[in-house]
Amino acid sequence: MRVSTRAGLVALLLLWSLGPMLWQLYTSMRTPEALLAGAGGLASGWTLANYGAVLGGDPPFWRYLLNSTVVGALSTLLTLALAIPCAYALSRRGGLLRLLVGGGLLAAAVFPYVLLFLALLQVARQLGLANNLLALCLPYAGLQLPLAVLLLQAAFAELPPELEESAVLEGFSLWQRLRWILLPLMGPAVVSTGLLVFLFSWNEFPIALTWISRSELLTLAPAMARIAGSSVYTVPYGAFAAATVLGSVPLLALLLLFQRQIVAGLTQGAIKG
Amino acid sequence: MSALLLMAPALLLLLAVFVWPLLDYAWLSLQAQSVFTGLEAVPVGTLNWQRLLVDGRFWQDAWQTLRFAAVSVGLELVAGLAIALLLHQRWRGRGVVRSLALLPWALPTTVMALGWRWIFNDPYGPINGLLQLLGLATLPFLAAPELAWLATVVADVWKTTPFVALLLLAGLQMIPGDLYEAFALEGGTPWQGLWRITVPLLRPYIFIVLLFRLAQALGVFDLIAVLTGGGPASSTESLAVYAYLNAMRFLDFGYSATVMLGMFLLLLAGAGGLLLWRRQTEVRA
Repeated sequence: MRVSTRAGLVALLLLWSLGPMLWQLYTSMRTPEALLAGAGGLASGWTLANYGAVLGGDPPFWRYLLNSTVVGALSTLLTLALAIPCAYALSRRGGLLRLLVGGGLLAAAVFPYVLLFLALLQVARQLGLANNLLALCLPYAGLQLPLAVLLLQAAFAELPPELEESAVLEGFSLWQRLRWILLPLMGPAVVSTGLLVFLFSWNEFPIALTWISRSELLTLAPAMARIAGSSVYTVPYGAFAAATVLGSVPLLALLLLFQRQIVAGLTQGAIKG
Repeated sequence: MSALLLMAPALLLLLAVFVWPLLDYAWLSLQAQSVFTGLEAVPVGTLNWQRLLVDGRFWQDAWQTLRFAAVSVGLELVAGLAIALLLHQRWRGRGVVRSLALLPWALPTTVMALGWRWIFNDPYGPINGLLQLLGLATLPFLAAPELAWLATVVADVWKTTPFVALLLLAGLQMIPGDLYEAFALEGGTPWQGLWRITVPLLRPYIFIVLLFRLAQALGVFDLIAVLTGGGPASSTESLAVYAYLNAMRFLDFGYSATVMLGMFLLLLAGAGGLLLWRRQTEVRA
């Protein structure tokens, strides 16, 4: 392919990928009058008032980001704590059990989980977990376990069995082997898996939407939907756009910091699973 | 410690999250539980299922969901392969471009659904701004059924093509380069190489992409809930949105469970078909 053709295609790809977000950034910094006037007159009409409105709302926008971060971090820890022993046991087992559990996990990993929301909501109500931010970690961990176990199981299977055998001879207990021999070698897989779980929990919508009704407990995704449905922020969207920008920045940072691990997790998850 | 004991906590949570709801729906679909019963469950036999069979909105939504999934995933496959081929070539800065191109996938769907609502706004959105600049009339993107449907497809393709491209890129990296060299020596053009080498060898990856993406697209909820709310006149409504409305807006839990089980059965049939198709193509290959 000629270099100029390729450069053109790359530019097109970047425009397509980033254009919609750059437009949000532009919108978020324009005054309502400037947005209604349409194109032209870029010299004036700039403002940061939209950000002020969103950050000074009730609750302030950073509260949603904080809620999402807390839920994301706790869900990730819980998922890993449950998935690591399960993946280890699965990788050390052959035969029917592995086949059955592996098949079930794959089916669960591709299952459109939105179908589960009503039953999960009923459980939450019966257990008094509605409007409990931390309780969201339970369904999130459950929903992400299939992918996490499949990913970690593949990573465990790649470690040479001699490693563990010699540790057994040295008299290491199971916990010691996991903690000091196996897990240190699993670093990349654990990080990739954890990042995918975190991204899922951060972005999850239907369950958070139905479990949480108090606005100061909302996570980012249902908060955005509520903003979209409210008339507090009026057209023309300056404040909407500021909210989308603020909601995107943490993920942009996460992606740029950990892009290699995220890409590894994604491709491994699909291919090994 | 036995393997089962190590797996028990995870398996218990999995049963609670994935299996219990389906059992619950099976029971609930045989009950009337709505505002008319004071939200108490009253056994009604197969009444909900009979209603489902003749519910025009359910079948309309099933068709709309299928059409949405088929067109979106088809476009994502083509665009994703093109992007994967571009990123597979060696050039400076492709690492950075790869992470930037992944950004749409990483963002919460509801965040960018709100963004797309502004982009498709009539008349102040940028697309209509461009149309006006060209002297054309503005289009009511979110108010006309066909245009609103197009808007949902565009937003979905925008968001999930990076995922498809990434998986296909991983597949491309598995294809040995000498295959192409040998093919070129025998006088094959790059275009022929794409169809005779790349696509056949990518088949396992294409299958995985289809499996993941079709399942997600058939369950589409977040995007439609925020971008169009299922409108105008439920023309963009998906089955998941319909099930949600039945439970949370019409407060008809028995029927909502029936809709979800009905959707589950349709998905199961689809998955069976896909597996059968894969087995047949494997036998031939």
